[in-house]
Amino acid sequence: MALADRTTVRPPAAGPPPTGRRGPRLRRALAPYALISPTVLLLAVFLVVPVGSVVHYALQHHVVNEPYDDAFVGLGNFRAMLGDQRFWDSLAFSAKWVVAEVLLQLLLGLALALIVNETFVGRAMARALVFSPWAVSGVLTTSIWMLLYNPATGVFHYLSEIGVGNAGTSVLGNPDTVFGAAVVAELWRGVPFFAILILADLQSVPKELYEAASIDGAGRVRSFLHVTLPHLRDAIVLATLLRSVWEFNNVDLLYTLTNGGPAGATTSLPLYVAQLARKSYDFGYGSALTTAAFVILLFCSVLYLRLSKFGRQR
Amino acid sequence: MSSMLRTTAAALAALGLLTACSSTGSSTDAGGGAKVTVTYWDNNAGPARTPLFQHLIDEFEKANPNITVKYVGVTSSEVAEKYNTAIASGSTPDVGGVTTALLASLTAQKALAPLDELYAKSPLNGRLAANFLATSKAASGGKGLFQLPSSGNQDVIWYRADKFKAAGLAAPKTWDELFADAARLTDKGANQYGFTIRGGSGAGFQLLSEAYAYSGVAEMFDASGKSTVDDPRNVALIEKIAAQYKATTPEADVSNAYPQMLAQFQANQVMMVHHNLGSTKDVRTALGDKVAGFLLPAGPDGTSVLANPVDGFGLFKNSKHQAEAWKFIEFLDSHASNSYWNENVGQIPANTEAYADEWYAKSGITKEAGDLLNAPGTKLVQPPVHLPQYSKITKTDAEPAFQKVLLGKMSAADFAKGVADALTKAQADYKSKNG
Repeated sequence: MALADRTTVRPPAAGPPPTGRRGPRLRRALAPYALISPTVLLLAVFLVVPVGSVVHYALQHHVVNEPYDDAFVGLGNFRAMLGDQRFWDSLAFSAKWVVAEVLLQLLLGLALALIVNETFVGRAMARALVFSPWAVSGVLTTSIWMLLYNPATGVFHYLSEIGVGNAGTSVLGNPDTVFGAAVVAELWRGVPFFAILILADLQSVPKELYEAASIDGAGRVRSFLHVTLPHLRDAIVLATLLRSVWEFNNVDLLYTLTNGGPAGATTSLPLYVAQLARKSYDFGYGSALTTAAFVILLFCSVLYLRLSKFGRQR
Repeated sequence: MSSMLRTTAAALAALGLLTACSSTGSSTDAGGGAKVTVTYWDNNAGPARTPLFQHLIDEFEKANPNITVKYVGVTSSEVAEKYNTAIASGSTPDVGGVTTALLASLTAQKALAPLDELYAKSPLNGRLAANFLATSKAASGGKGLFQLPSSGNQDVIWYRADKFKAAGLAAPKTWDELFADAARLTDKGANQYGFTIRGGSGAGFQLLSEAYAYSGVAEMFDASGKSTVDDPRNVALIEKIAAQYKATTPEADVSNAYPQMLAQFQANQVMMVHHNLGSTKDVRTALGDKVAGFLLPAGPDGTSVLANPVDGFGLFKNSKHQAEAWKFIEFLDSHASNSYWNENVGQIPANTEAYADEWYAKSGITKEAGDLLNAPGTKLVQPPVHLPQYSKITKTDAEPAFQKVLLGKMSAADFAKGVADALTKAQADYKSKNG
């Protein structure tokens, strides 16, 4: 048998469609549904049910240790939210946190990606070092930074010993410094995410574009602005969107590093929800806050994708 | 298609089997119930306490070969959440460690079995300290006995006896002496502070203990049902404590909880730390004879007012082995077991027979606390842990507010009024529903 005969896909036999027996036709019609049913089932169990449950509880007064007061309250929890100063404070903190984190992570991640995209001795080691914080869990990251910030054993202790600053300086205990300290800790973990994504996209920029730009007289800066950045646009839009959602929902680092303090200075909206659930056992109001956060995130995400024209051909 | 259906059915069957297996906390053996497993959740597990329980469980199993106790250690910071989840999913243990602070939540959810009749018929009847039993009943809103007390956990201020001696100081007898000693022992350049404030998790309860010890106010609510937290005498102590922040305490105290406070104490950075008898083993292990303790000083009028937090055991209503579970609780509260436990953790035994034991007579601060608790002039103030909103008010709301007081962003009077108003409202709500 010739090679072509063995590898060519044979076209379906021409002729009229099968008639008569319904069984095979029905099976064929149902087959796609049967094939996607496990996925639908998994989505229903792990996505629709939990989300539906949160929306359900958002409409209830449901405090775990006040079961006798469980009742449907309609939009009561949402009305209470409007007058809850801690909700507005935590929402404002979340917005500030997301903007600061995503912007700084993007800039530093882009810079690092550009550096490790160059050819130099020890590049593999440099790449490994740049990416390694991404492999560290949030709680472990917190532990590392708590040790670094510890007034008795951390960086500021050693600085005070050489005459820089005061002994016992606690950057996490001071409302003026705690935000910056938490931002730095989260940056350490978040920058590699941008660096990885941007580096992957950088490697797909056709060399010919740089050659053409060079022939047209463009230097490194102009090549970066007119070749590299436009090529990275979709990657940057996607990465900033994903990271914004993750940073908005960040609980682990803030919970373990500052627990929202001091005096609520680092209480993000999800952290406020976690405190309501863990200390107040108020799952009704907590669910309403979660639903509001979901709607806010959804709105911001859609708006961002529309404004950035993500995925559209230019 | 049919093979897909078969596979799906098999998977569902397996899932059902898994669900069935996880639906109970206890089990019997294949021999038809000859051997029973009782699940016990330790509410304050850790390297210092878990081995003590394991020893007691070994002793119990030797004496009761038909009962096996399955020990599950849960840390104190997580236990409320674990119990709530277990109640919601119907997977509570047979027996659990329960503090008075947890009682209201567990009884409101109807998770615990009443123990009044069991205790009345038990050989322990009449042997457990009356004021512990009274506290247990009050903490569950006076609805009965849902916790069998095992230990009293009085507040203590641990101090560095070696440093006090070197400075020519004795343990302070009044709050003013305490603050003066704290100032004397503070050397900021050397990163050494006389006192430490709990500004983080658990700050609310600790601050209220200090305030009532100072003020001599012995009721949490006055006759009209109004909270006494904002009594001017309580406010005065809160102001004095706030004035210590950064003057005689580390800056980090604003967000420090017990583990950080203890770490500072063990690292020679702070000379006095307010906690309770439950940390006896921790401080003794770390510092040996260098540490000693004194009870919260009385206020200007000399009245000793103490909160009376009690640890104990609860029998969960869902237990399928109530008789065996109660037998285990009785064993833990027997003279020998209760004495062994409290000797090793440094707390006040609930079993009064242990008061005659040699270790108790020589226990120092533990006996002092027990004696003061039972002294005729001592007044007990019962924190309103029976209120379902107590945790929300004293943790979610009060902790960040107290941090504002420490940072000078809120006055002590406004803080106390905020807590008092919330407690007054919660008490009125509770009364209207429970009479």
